[in-house]
Amino acid sequence: MGLSGWLAGFAAACPRPMVVTAPHGTRSRLLVEAELSRRGWRHAHAPSGTGLLVVCGTPADALSRAVEMVWTTVPAPGELVRLRGDAPPERVAAALDEAVVRLARPRSPGTDTGERTDVPMADRGPDRDGLTLDRLRVPLGPVLPDWPAGLVVETVLQGDVIQRARVEVAGGLGGERFWDAPWLAALEGREVTRGEAARRLAASHLDSLGRLLAVAGWPGASARARRLRDRLLWERQDQWVRRDFPGFARAVRRSRTLKWVLRDLPAARDPAPGGLVRRVGTWLDRTGLALRDLDDGRPLDDDEGPRGPVGGEPSRGLLAVLPELVTGADLAAARLVVAGLDPDLDQLRGARDG
Amino acid sequence: MGEALVLLGAVGTLALCAAVFDAVLAVPGGGAGEPLRRVARLLLQQRRRTRLADTLLVRTGVCGLLAVAVLAGAVLPLGERPVAEMAVGVVWFNAMEVGAWGALWLVGWGVNSVYPLVGGYRFVAQGLAYELPHMFALITVALGAGSLRFADVVAAQRGLWFAVWMPVAFAVYLVSAVAMAFWGPMDGPVSDDICGGVPAELSGPDRLVFQAGRYALLVVVAAAAVPLFLGGGAGPLLPPWLWTALKTVAVLALLVWSGRVLPTVRMDLFTRLSWLVLIPATLLQLLVVSVVVL
Repeated sequence: MGLSGWLAGFAAACPRPMVVTAPHGTRSRLLVEAELSRRGWRHAHAPSGTGLLVVCGTPADALSRAVEMVWTTVPAPGELVRLRGDAPPERVAAALDEAVVRLARPRSPGTDTGERTDVPMADRGPDRDGLTLDRLRVPLGPVLPDWPAGLVVETVLQGDVIQRARVEVAGGLGGERFWDAPWLAALEGREVTRGEAARRLAASHLDSLGRLLAVAGWPGASARARRLRDRLLWERQDQWVRRDFPGFARAVRRSRTLKWVLRDLPAARDPAPGGLVRRVGTWLDRTGLALRDLDDGRPLDDDEGPRGPVGGEPSRGLLAVLPELVTGADLAAARLVVAGLDPDLDQLRGARDG
Repeated sequence: MGEALVLLGAVGTLALCAAVFDAVLAVPGGGAGEPLRRVARLLLQQRRRTRLADTLLVRTGVCGLLAVAVLAGAVLPLGERPVAEMAVGVVWFNAMEVGAWGALWLVGWGVNSVYPLVGGYRFVAQGLAYELPHMFALITVALGAGSLRFADVVAAQRGLWFAVWMPVAFAVYLVSAVAMAFWGPMDGPVSDDICGGVPAELSGPDRLVFQAGRYALLVVVAAAAVPLFLGGGAGPLLPPWLWTALKTVAVLALLVWSGRVLPTVRMDLFTRLSWLVLIPATLLQLLVVSVVVL
């Protein structure tokens, strides 16, 4: 037991957590991501590669079942941490510390067990080259890295090409709309400064950029976007952010590889020129502008949130165009398109399970 | 026997160095200990199985990846002589690394799960795109040296490194090297957007051996660039083995670093680039070298 006990303690310090977020759990997801980055813990991207499953927010029925399913496929030794959507930073840090202590406990070695359910084979049909190929019904999400919380895209796949797509929502309990909160508060008549709204808007776009760059397989730039977001949102190091952001924006804008990778991918139903490349530019522009207004003490008097008017639930529109945009795309392109839309399912009031 | 142990030790050490360097790049100011902790975690971790998995295929693929990497490394000169001196060393090297196709496909197919299967598809497509330019780059080297033996290739570079007078072949070799090791901009088969792709369902020792194989392959393709293009062990003052090691570390660091600073290239785009640009470019390079050699 001596050696394996020592190994367990040694390994527990880097458990490669996998983070699952429920709608309305955005705040705790952001706190968890900031804390993980502070600790230098790298994320796992599949249940079998993780030692620590972190659930942010409170999943409702369908998502809850999905989380249970994923949890059964996490190999031992593994720990499950559940954080409510309103968990304070101290609670996040404490929960992770407790998980490390539990992981470090020596235990008997696991055995060969655990089988997961099969993907149903749907039927066969002609593919885009006129060949008759197997079709698989594959849900994308709700537990998928760098994916909008609560989103499920039910697809029919041939090879890795999406033949049909339908959007469903795996909801969460609660009602917080973290990214829209300043504007909603202002609408309710509470006093909110333009500076606070600008901070939230910049952080939201940096979050979207971090996600898109991660899906694009550019970990360096993604980590930089997220570091900027965390410093802006939680640590409030405005000077540092203002100094570092222009370099980041320049690196992303100038990357010819990124432009090449995003080329021809749509960001909206109308095939607007530029597509996803343009979307990245818009996010960078709006972040840069917002960073100038962080100290603006005047009261907030508009309702233009990060994704549009907060009263209009703009993410509903994004979800409506999503199936059309990903149909006919391969998985790599589809993941980029979804990350480019980046719908915020916290906006869907009353959205329970589909 | 002694040389075989040296080869295994060198590949193992460099693979660990590559993992540490990658971890340090991922977590600046820390992270150096992460790879070893990860090894510890995977050693203790339970082995999971998917439903209706073909265990024989999966384990063949997982172990095969490490095996082909080491076998490909056997013909590379560790200083002066390789473990296996072969008249057709360059062909052997190419044949072994193609074994990685089989290994990845066996794992991706065998575990009976969607994302690994998609990763397998991606690697087959990637192979079809990178392999021809890669082979033309190797043929250019062999033509320049007038031999398929690694020792002769190194000897032919006494005056001038092949990297200098065959720059296109060298550049294409580096691109195909990351593609072969499915690393960095070519990591589509194992990328995060499909939950880690081919090894997504592997846990415990299976995942450990797979990752070891991937790093070993990266080390071997980086090491092969040294005798092929960078003059092998030649250099002033230091002994050949040390020059070989230094040059290998430099190429390896470049390849690992590319993974942090470049996005993953989508396979449909890379296929187009490969067939429309890389293949014609390598053929032109081949033509130039043929004319010079004549």
